[in-house]
Amino acid sequence: MRTTKLAFVAAAASLLAGCYPSERAPNWPVTQRQEPFKQLDAAMRHSAPPVADAVTFERIVRARSEPHNWLTYYGAYDGHRFSSLRQINTDNVARLRPAWTFQAVPIGIIPKHSEFTLEAAPIVVDGVMFLAGWDGYVWALDAATGEELWRYRHAIPLDTPLCCGNVNRGVAVARGKVFYSTPNGHLLALDARTGEPVWTKIWVDVRAGESSTMAPLIVKNMVIVGSSGAEYGVRGHIDAFDIDTGQRIWRRYGVPKPGEPGSETWGNEEAWQRGGGSAWITGSYDPALDLLYWNTSNPSPDFDGSPRPGDNLYTDSVLALDPNTGEIRWHYQFTPHDVWDYSGVNENILFEEGGRKLLAHFDKNGYLFVLDRQTGARVRIVRFYDRANWGRIDPATGAVSDRREPTREGIEICPGPAGAKEWPHATYSQQTGLLYTPVVDACATFRKFPMPFREGLSWHGGDFKVDRAQVHGGAVKAYRPDGTLVWEWRSRHPIVASLLSTAGGLVFVGTPDGIFIALDARSGRQVWQFRTGSGIHSNPVTYSVNGTQYIAVPTGAGGWMKGFSPELLGHERGGTLFAFSLADAASAGAQSSAGSPR
Amino acid sequence: MRSWRLAGALGLSAALLVLSACEYAGLFRPSVLGQVDPEMATLMNELPNLDEPNEAIIGRIYATGGASRAELGSDGIMRDRIRIPKDEYLWYPAVIIMPRGGTLELDITNEDHRLHAIFAASNGDRQIMSLPAATRGVIRVQLDQPGYYWFGCPVENHLGRGMLGLVLVKGEVPPEARLDRPPQPQAGNRRPPRAHH
Repeated sequence: MRTTKLAFVAAAASLLAGCYPSERAPNWPVTQRQEPFKQLDAAMRHSAPPVADAVTFERIVRARSEPHNWLTYYGAYDGHRFSSLRQINTDNVARLRPAWTFQAVPIGIIPKHSEFTLEAAPIVVDGVMFLAGWDGYVWALDAATGEELWRYRHAIPLDTPLCCGNVNRGVAVARGKVFYSTPNGHLLALDARTGEPVWTKIWVDVRAGESSTMAPLIVKNMVIVGSSGAEYGVRGHIDAFDIDTGQRIWRRYGVPKPGEPGSETWGNEEAWQRGGGSAWITGSYDPALDLLYWNTSNPSPDFDGSPRPGDNLYTDSVLALDPNTGEIRWHYQFTPHDVWDYSGVNENILFEEGGRKLLAHFDKNGYLFVLDRQTGARVRIVRFYDRANWGRIDPATGAVSDRREPTREGIEICPGPAGAKEWPHATYSQQTGLLYTPVVDACATFRKFPMPFREGLSWHGGDFKVDRAQVHGGAVKAYRPDGTLVWEWRSRHPIVASLLSTAGGLVFVGTPDGIFIALDARSGRQVWQFRTGSGIHSNPVTYSVNGTQYIAVPTGAGGWMKGFSPELLGHERGGTLFAFSLADAASAGAQSSAGSPR
Repeated sequence: MRSWRLAGALGLSAALLVLSACEYAGLFRPSVLGQVDPEMATLMNELPNLDEPNEAIIGRIYATGGASRAELGSDGIMRDRIRIPKDEYLWYPAVIIMPRGGTLELDITNEDHRLHAIFAASNGDRQIMSLPAATRGVIRVQLDQPGYYWFGCPVENHLGRGMLGLVLVKGEVPPEARLDRPPQPQAGNRRPPRAHH
């Protein structure tokens, strides 16, 4: 008995001993201090010239009058992605050479290493370039030399729900500030001279599966943003904030509540709560009509329509919004009751035809829609992807027939969930009067199966697979606005970079295996190429500094490659912005000297 | 005999009472025991041996890195202490828990006889602090969002050998950022439903 008692006491004593840490940190004096990582670069100036102070809404409205700048996401509010610069043209493009590069390689651990990429449209204001990268980075660069002027990096949690890559499409600049929305949904107003935050507003709910990837848009005294996350069963929204204070002015949900207009298109009383309809691409704006055109993405869940019978407004739609209130003036839905993930978020190109104000939109579903942008009336519908077999849209009525929907066993449907055109943008050349669109020629095997919804987790209601044999390549197609095909340029891989047209008679296009190409805008003939070494999935822009025209293209493969180019998943990927100029124009004279002889 | 039993029972109760103040006692809660997975127990037993060739990484982070709750000071700053023990390639603790977003101050002592440094996520830019052998330093980081962030030692391949740490920020997004919808189904059995905004 005594032995038992002793054993018990010994065991208790040893357990108690384990309750206290055996070692404590020594009480040494504090001698070491921290530094921001950027301080280690002694050459960095940490300041940019105050070029953004004079950028106003009125100046962005007249952006076409200053072609040396790229003042807003599409270059101007009209969504054309066209520049009247012509120093680089069809006669001399063979002499286009890299003037400088800016490398942005991730250091340490970031969420979703495999799918990071530079997707931004750099904004250029009077010789300063403002660029956003993945994982919270914003840079100010000297647009003539590539020198880093300042850097801001927001810390992004590793568990941020990013459906389709760690990407960001850029910033907006006005009134001395750079506006940037982080992947975890903090809208930041940074001082454009220093990169220091002026105000911060949290506007998306990461716990609900929301995130942010688009470039903000300045309209009047507002900065306007749209949410990401329709793969997570969110309720997408577009928000407007006061440019000076960050106070929210309005929010417009992509899915109406019961009782609101459009709610009758949801044949399940709970479906609206997680109906998707996010708004992850920047809108266009018509200052004369004072209408904002902002589009919405797919309904949730993506591939199983049974939890949400009906047309599911306002998913896959263009919303013509009153920018002062966020009210919907009219809408047009491109894919009613979508079960293919054909997010209708692609750009709206605003143009005139016979005095009529129109809007052109190349949709993921493979059809070009031309609408009256005052009323939303259908003007014409043209199929631009011949292989499209998900359904048939009657050009006269807009009605969809012959729907081919995902099955439990799996069925091949074209295009795949990347669409016949992914988010990267078409362009409208004011010189040729033609519309040019990038094309993804890939099908997929779609399956659907019931999937319970859990907040914050992805909710597809099925899945898809793109086999190599289902990837048929890509194209750039040139159309007259009346829907006549003028030329087609074919590529080995799908085209997932935005196009850029210039008054030099050129259309620029990047490929997902890293070749940057110039095409003759009139004939589609390839006239120049440069191998960048990393895939292109971004928005090239053009601008000029001190009389030298530059073409800038961010590179870096990634961002949901499994959806459009699974054949390139093992391809090399980096993250470099290339700025090109004519070999004799830049003359490297703009480069500052890195040293001097003794 | 009866008195021995009584004394034994009293002694056992007293010991359990004392033990209940420490973390070990918590391991015997039904909610913890219910989660014990035989495969996980096997993994825990084997991990320290599995990485024996380089005497670092998995087993040590998993078994001894530990977690710590940063203390919220009256000045609103959350603080914690981290040790870098000798010959371990390890942060101790390796998981820092912040009750909410804000400023975290880490007081780090490098007891090792080799150079280390900390490279930590923070708004504005990542922060770096060098920690030569037998030194102590203080670093502040700004982390404003629920979720988790990493920190590591960028010297040589120390990150790969085990000097990887996490900062877990608890809490919610502000009410104005929440979606206008009723509470939604949550994953897992123990996660409480989020309050309706």
